[in-house]
Amino acid sequence: MTDLATLDIAGPIATLTMNRPEARNAMSLPLLDGLHARLDELPTTVHEGPHVLVLAGAGKSFCAGMDLKSVLGDEAAPPKLLHSIANLTTRLRNLPMVVVAKVNGAAIGGGCGLACACDIVLSHADAKLGFPEVDLGVCPAVVAPLLVRKIGAGRARAILLRGGLMTGTAAHEVGIADDLADTREGLDALCEAVAHRLAAGGASAIAATKQLLTELDGSGDAALAKRGADLSAAVLATPEARERLAAKFAG
Amino acid sequence: MIARERLGDIERLVLSRPERRNALTPAMFEDLAGHVERAGDARVLLLLGEGTVFCAGFDLDLCVGEAGDGNLRALLEGLSRCIAALRALPCPVVVGVQGAAIAGGCALLGGGDVVVAHPEAKLGYPVTRLGISPAVSAPFMGIAPGQARRLMLDPGLIDGHRAHAMGLVHELHDEPAARAMELAEELAAKPPHALAATKRWLNELSPANAGQGLDVSLSLVGSDESRRLLAAALQKK
Repeated sequence: MTDLATLDIAGPIATLTMNRPEARNAMSLPLLDGLHARLDELPTTVHEGPHVLVLAGAGKSFCAGMDLKSVLGDEAAPPKLLHSIANLTTRLRNLPMVVVAKVNGAAIGGGCGLACACDIVLSHADAKLGFPEVDLGVCPAVVAPLLVRKIGAGRARAILLRGGLMTGTAAHEVGIADDLADTREGLDALCEAVAHRLAAGGASAIAATKQLLTELDGSGDAALAKRGADLSAAVLATPEARERLAAKFAG
Repeated sequence: MIARERLGDIERLVLSRPERRNALTPAMFEDLAGHVERAGDARVLLLLGEGTVFCAGFDLDLCVGEAGDGNLRALLEGLSRCIAALRALPCPVVVGVQGAAIAGGCALLGGGDVVVAHPEAKLGYPVTRLGISPAVSAPFMGIAPGQARRLMLDPGLIDGHRAHAMGLVHELHDEPAARAMELAEELAAKPPHALAATKRWLNELSPANAGQGLDVSLSLVGSDESRRLLAAALQKK
């Protein structure tokens, strides 16, 4: 079970990898448990721990979002998944190091939200990102506060209500991706360059700056994330959402 | 002067006073607010302007003379009520901006969830030079606070490209009204409860204190400065 999430620490740069490529790294409970366990192992004392944490997806996708397919019919599971994801986003926000999302491929729904919980989002022109929750009758309540912080309330409103997906290029234009490689292959070099640039910074300066920014935008607020999870779970339980999801997974 | 039509699940409202560049009167706000408040069963609300201009803002001819202060007050209250009603509507609001959206016309965009504009459309708040404060629409600004500051304090206008770059407009198109209709049809086909829950949550995440902004704008009505600047501006016209 533990190999669903791996943690590699190479000097000042740590890499946390979602390792469920056959399911496009969809967040199942075991995968989420793995991520939380790896974060427990991450040294977080400033100057002793890494300065940079890269969050990556194994294989061709970054993360296809919450794994609803695996819990179809189990009414107790979605709230657990949602609370675990909400908790994960808050943990990333409250880490003292800079967290970089390396969006190598699809970042969908909660997967795109997870990227937005990171401090910096890197991607490539052809990656597919977005929030198709409303198309499935689902409310992207956990990710909404993160997207609002990332790109502003007006843009977040237009994107979350319209649903659908966008290319990496469009995500860069709207501010979801901070930096963009031309190709998937180019993302490795971009990510390495950014991580090394960040790692050269003073750990205390990084930690103090990040802490202030998180305080200012309120994004480390576990209670808000939890309310988002509760709301999302409530909408998931409506007939509208159930029908849409059943139709999607049946087809 | 507000043309209303129900097209399937889409409530289409059009500012229809093209001979006056859709300049807004208290009666138009009354009609617009009423239509919006009664559109609760629509799946999407589409807001457009007739003619070449989306909306030139308040009809300033009404804001001078004996009834001037009362009319300006009614216009500010009407504007605030309309934006708040659009924001409170459970369904998404799509706005198509085919031409200039000035002052009160630009403020209406604050009630839109998805705004499509022509790249050359002119937008902005040239109102402090009339002694009027655009504070009434500030609570509904979805752009970064630093950019809102400039937009509301500087009476200069920006074009669609710039508005898109700052997030005031979400999509540029050469045929904004037709594109807005397309987007409305797309949204009308989406699950309504998920849309309503999402919009409600977004409203909660960025609470808008409409009264606070309105009070600031109202506090200036009837001041010597405001009367003098308004009269001077109308004389020049």
